[in-house]
Amino acid sequence: MNGSIGIIVAISLFGVGTLGLILRRDLVIKLLALGLVNTSAILCLLSLDSQATSAPPLLVPAYTQQMIDPLPQALVLSAIVINFAILALALVFVMRIVEQYHTLDPQRVEHEVEEERR
Amino acid sequence: MNRSIRRSLYITSIFALVGAFCAIVWHGFTYAGAGSASVQRWIETATLLGTRNVVSSIYLGTRFLDSVLELLVFAVAVLGVRHFLDETAPGSTAEPPDPSSESHVVSAAARLMLPIVVLLGLYLAVHGHLSPGGGFSGGVVAASGLLMAAIAIGSAPVSRRLAPPTALERIEWSAMLLILALVVAPVAISLPPFSPLLPAGTVGRLASGGNVLPYNLLIAIKVFIGSWTVVQQFLRHRGGI
Amino acid sequence: MTPAYLVLCRIALSVLSVLLRKGHRQLLVLAHLIDAGLIGMLFVRLYTVGECECVLGPWTAATSIAFSVDRIGLTFVSLAFALSVAVTLYTWRDALKPYAFLLLNLLVGACYALSFTKDLFNAYVLFELITLSSFLLVGYDRKPCQIWASLRYLILSSFGMTIFLFGIAVAYYHAGTLHLDALASAVAANPSSPWITLSAALLVTGVSVKAGVFVFSLWLPSAHAEAPPAVSALLSGLVIKMGVVELFRLSGVFPLETTLLVLGFVTAFLGLVYAVRTKHIKRMLAFHTLSQIGYLLIGFGAGTESARVGALDYAVAHGLFKGLLFLVVGEIATLAGSDDLDQLVQHRDRFPRACRWMLIVACLGILGLPPFAGFAAKAVLEAGIHSTLVHALVALVSVGTAASFAKLVPLLSRPFGGPRCAVPRAVGYGWLGAAILFFLPLSRLLVPQPIWLTTFNALAFVEALAAVLLGFAVYRLLQHVPWRLPRNIFRIEEALTAVLAGFILVWSLLAAA
Repeated sequence: MNGSIGIIVAISLFGVGTLGLILRRDLVIKLLALGLVNTSAILCLLSLDSQATSAPPLLVPAYTQQMIDPLPQALVLSAIVINFAILALALVFVMRIVEQYHTLDPQRVEHEVEEERR
Repeated sequence: MNRSIRRSLYITSIFALVGAFCAIVWHGFTYAGAGSASVQRWIETATLLGTRNVVSSIYLGTRFLDSVLELLVFAVAVLGVRHFLDETAPGSTAEPPDPSSESHVVSAAARLMLPIVVLLGLYLAVHGHLSPGGGFSGGVVAASGLLMAAIAIGSAPVSRRLAPPTALERIEWSAMLLILALVVAPVAISLPPFSPLLPAGTVGRLASGGNVLPYNLLIAIKVFIGSWTVVQQFLRHRGGI
Repeated sequence: MTPAYLVLCRIALSVLSVLLRKGHRQLLVLAHLIDAGLIGMLFVRLYTVGECECVLGPWTAATSIAFSVDRIGLTFVSLAFALSVAVTLYTWRDALKPYAFLLLNLLVGACYALSFTKDLFNAYVLFELITLSSFLLVGYDRKPCQIWASLRYLILSSFGMTIFLFGIAVAYYHAGTLHLDALASAVAANPSSPWITLSAALLVTGVSVKAGVFVFSLWLPSAHAEAPPAVSALLSGLVIKMGVVELFRLSGVFPLETTLLVLGFVTAFLGLVYAVRTKHIKRMLAFHTLSQIGYLLIGFGAGTESARVGALDYAVAHGLFKGLLFLVVGEIATLAGSDDLDQLVQHRDRFPRACRWMLIVACLGILGLPPFAGFAAKAVLEAGIHSTLVHALVALVSVGTAASFAKLVPLLSRPFGGPRCAVPRAVGYGWLGAAILFFLPLSRLLVPQPIWLTTFNALAFVEALAAVLLGFAVYRLLQHVPWRLPRNIFRIEEALTAVLAGFILVWSLLAAA
């Protein structure tokens, strides 16, 4: 059991999320799929170097031999906060669009925007 | 070609495209067990900075610029949420249901748990340099305690007991300014910016780790106020928009 | 250490502008003065000492982030500075909330940092910061069409940046470092490993979504067209160039020549085809931006030093005149109340007189006529291309640019009859116009290049003039041909599919090379 399982799961989740992002016609579900896509990249980063015998990245003498690489974990902290910010703002924008056009279907919103422009 | 055949052709081609993408990525990854990164340099950095948690010596030590930028991303998002949701929505007739009339058990339990959760968040933030945790998770845990209370007894009573929103915003951005001041302060003693100011101390004690403890506290304040603002805006507009 | 001060100063002033209630414009002026001083110091250091790399903090490049002060970085920092001054002057009399000042300052500060950074994850965080600030600025007026355009921008950009993050994961796993130079040596040590192709494809795909490559950036036309004018100028002039800078830095690590050539041609031609066809003036400018990015990629892909230098200078020159165009067009479109070119021609008597001259200066710059900034950059770029096929296609791109701008002739042929331009805006336009006129001689004076003097000759001038006239003729011919272009490709689903298809294209190009 090593990191390859995490990477396979991450790539599959990316695929599932992309399929949802493209094929579903509901803006909120598109946002959920976007969250899934972002999380899959985080999972990939986390499972890069992990083995069954890896130890947590703490400066305790028992752990320094087999310590897991701490850099991806630091990268992931930033990535998670950024994804949270993006999802929150995207949700706010979806709320404004629904308030204006009363629909969650992106094709209908496109249609309404085109109509408004004329 | 009628619509359903066209539609299923479209769906199949999307599946094929995404499947091809995943296959290419898995094939090229060439995962082979341990990679080529050396952990030794991080152990040395952490010993130099005096933190027992090696990860915090990275994102609050050597790569602090990334954390400053990401805090800015978070703060800008919070401001954006307020800018877009801070007015009464036109045509919103539904009143959010009054939660305090629902169950006394829930509201009593929430009132009991709230100080425990906030204390837990504070513990995570203060001990960020000793064990996994840090300012981000501590701030989020504390804000989730407030969220629990807001769901149980309503967001208006909870906001009333906190400082008004403009004061909260000032505290949040002053924390950001203090972080920047700590970053630039070493210039006054002719060290490059981002250098650690406070001494490293002995690994494992609370008073160790250089700048990491103040950074964790300031980040926790910032993330706490920011998350609470976002959550409170969403709670206020439920049923409205 | 000076690049760190540049970035930190802008960030500190942006945080202060949220905390203070008044005095935001004075803070902006102070920020620009400090920036001018620091940039001047950096130029002096580049001229006397040469290119150097500085690490943030008292650590080594192996554990920390490295900024490299080189010619590319300084050129784009100057572009960011020039556009920032112009936008400040343009919005001098508008009533803006402190939140808008925060976003503008952060955008410019992040662009400074992105021009210098040599660290992959730092680039990721900076791209996300730039995306967020520009996304919020596009939707600033809270109009529904702007909100819809910026939502599409956000979804596509986030998707692209996730692909970039996957690329970082692959590169870090195999090379053990995030620093671009160390990554380049790891790539050179073992050039035929499959991970190199994969991580190059992922990274290039991620950056191309931001950089305005046609297949990936289908969000661009609506976002740039719907945004408020000052924001469009910043987006088209500055933010896109940040993606181009990162592509340039990546092309120093991975062997990207063929890929960039192919992507460049596709982008240039498709952008021009759409630009010639549309009558909505801001959309035309946005499509034209796409085609010029294609032109830049051709310059990077040609491989020679002269072509690269020319492409970089053309990137900056294009930023300047596209910024000026968006600002002026924004003003006249607001005065006329519509974005359609026929409406603008009809309401010509409402526009200030100075706007016509500014439009003429900017158009002459874009068409590549001397002595404006575009001419020398294009000449240097074309001097670096040695294959005749590429040369012919590049000449076709110049003809197409002229064709797409030919439709502005009826607008500019007679003088505008309106009131005087507001003084801050006139100063802003004058600043950009002067930058267009004096940019290239100034940069050559500061950083001497032996290539330049050989390209400023009569043959280049004749070529430029011939391209312009041919382009006008082509436009007259095409006006009478009824042809419809697919508009559906700019929706979210099609744009995402295009990103995936583009990734497979880039990967196959890299695997075959």
